[in-house]
Amino acid sequence: MNIIKRVAILTLSLIVAVSFAFSGVASAATKGKIVVAGSTALLPLTQQAAKEFKKLNPKVSVSVSGSSSIAGPQSVTKGAATIGAVDWDATTDVPGFKAFSGLKAHKIAVIPFATIIHKENPVKNLTTKQLQDIYAGKIKNWKEVGGKDAAIVVVNRKHGSGTRVNYQMKALNGAAFMTKGDNYKEVGKSGEMVTGVDSNPNAIGYVDLAYVKGNIKAVDINGVAATTNNVINGTYKVWSYGYLVTKGEPKGADAEFIKYIQSSKFQNGSLTKLKFIPIAKMK
Amino acid sequence: MAKMEQELLELHTLTNKKEKRIKKSTYFYNRMFQLFCLLSVVILGLALLSIIFFVGRTGLLVFIDVSFQEFFFSTLWEPYDEKFGAATFILGTLALTGLTLLFAAPISIGVAIFTAEIAPDWLKRIVRPVLDLLVGIPSIVYGYLGLTILIPFLRNITGATMGDGLLAASIVLNIMVLPTISRISDDAISSVPMELREASYALGSTRMQTIIKVILPAASPGLFTAVILGMARSIGETMAVVMVIGNTPQLPSNLLTPTAVLTSNIVNQIIDVEFDSTWNYALYMMAFLLLLISNLLIIIIRKLRVKGA
Repeated sequence: MNIIKRVAILTLSLIVAVSFAFSGVASAATKGKIVVAGSTALLPLTQQAAKEFKKLNPKVSVSVSGSSSIAGPQSVTKGAATIGAVDWDATTDVPGFKAFSGLKAHKIAVIPFATIIHKENPVKNLTTKQLQDIYAGKIKNWKEVGGKDAAIVVVNRKHGSGTRVNYQMKALNGAAFMTKGDNYKEVGKSGEMVTGVDSNPNAIGYVDLAYVKGNIKAVDINGVAATTNNVINGTYKVWSYGYLVTKGEPKGADAEFIKYIQSSKFQNGSLTKLKFIPIAKMK
Repeated sequence: MAKMEQELLELHTLTNKKEKRIKKSTYFYNRMFQLFCLLSVVILGLALLSIIFFVGRTGLLVFIDVSFQEFFFSTLWEPYDEKFGAATFILGTLALTGLTLLFAAPISIGVAIFTAEIAPDWLKRIVRPVLDLLVGIPSIVYGYLGLTILIPFLRNITGATMGDGLLAASIVLNIMVLPTISRISDDAISSVPMELREASYALGSTRMQTIIKVILPAASPGLFTAVILGMARSIGETMAVVMVIGNTPQLPSNLLTPTAVLTSNIVNQIIDVEFDSTWNYALYMMAFLLLLISNLLIIIIRKLRVKGA
């Protein structure tokens, strides 16, 4: 008798608790769970936005992770994330990747990309042709481009990186990367690219401007410095729009989050501080 | 008097009832605990079986699009061009594990002999906890130290262009498996019965002779187990290796050329591949291979245990 009574009370209270929980979610719009996955180039931006968004909406849980651009649209399609961050418009074809169907892309920032070398490296400027030859493995020594007599170590991002897609299209004019060699290595994320160049005085790599600090410096391309101003005035060509993608139209907390990133308060505040460029500044 | 007797009787029946209730509840709890343990074992077994089944089934799908020969014997891994040759990674994994053991086994058994037989008690009390602490350091920390300290160091002393490669990876793995192997070997050596040592000394042998001819052979099953456990750890190690191996799918021409192994390639690419693609199946097949290799090692350990007992 006793046990039956207890079980009955337990079930009842469980049902009540569960229904309360569900009605709670349904009634408030600023509750919910946002999961952002994808680009590491956009990671400093999405992390900062998540921090600020959580402060404004304490009942929303936002988790942000970064692996590579292609993981963004893919995990949204699979349902593993609600928002995907990607450095190209994933609803259209780009070299190497087909368009994703059923997604909606939202432009959130302009990402300037920089060619990076170690601070000790005296090289200041590289031309497009020189970059193409370095990344194809034809130029193997810094001596050939005005540096010290030392072998060039090429650090590349792995296949699936949006930075890699954009760098290949815009800095190398579509020329192919080498994929093998004694002086060639691949890294997974933007952060690993920074460590890779930071720890080797003869390395060359590329990363978005937000990551350029410490022992690395950005090289001029064709005599133009990699700065946000040069992107805005149109002289520096290696940049792309950053996108957030959602499955269809975004709803609830997701829509609020994207709206917050696109708001002029965030665009002209934290986003600019992180060396990204507000979308409104590009014509 | 009669009243007192009656009271006593009442008390007796009361305790009797209580005892019965306790007995009943104890039986109930024991029964529940037994069920709980049984259930845990069944769940664990099912989980393991389903992992093997799922990874294996998904992995084997790769052979619909890729020939057996290409997967195991081709070294051309260009998945975006439909070339799925995993030989580089398989050879890389075997080479890396072999190289690691070549250094780790003698050094760590030496450490074990020192802590178990030679070191004075106060030193033992320091060395053993330190080794235990080293086991607990997360592998990514070792990887990062390898990337920022070991690789520049290797570059400086060898004059290599990069320093990433099998040598750096095996040194990092060595530091990781050394405490594991030496602590288990230490236990094996310490558990060799005192009588064997006394008998050996009584026959006039030196400490060196006792260690090499008596203690090590007596502890050998334990030593084998230790080495194989270390090997299993180094085969499956991912985070540390991926940071120092270079991640270039090519057969290395020397120990300082960037290359890739099964684990590093899987962890680098698995997040970025489409769910139902040949590329994904190929990565699962590589995971299945790793699973098979480590299961094989466990079977060997079991066999050695039986022989040792």
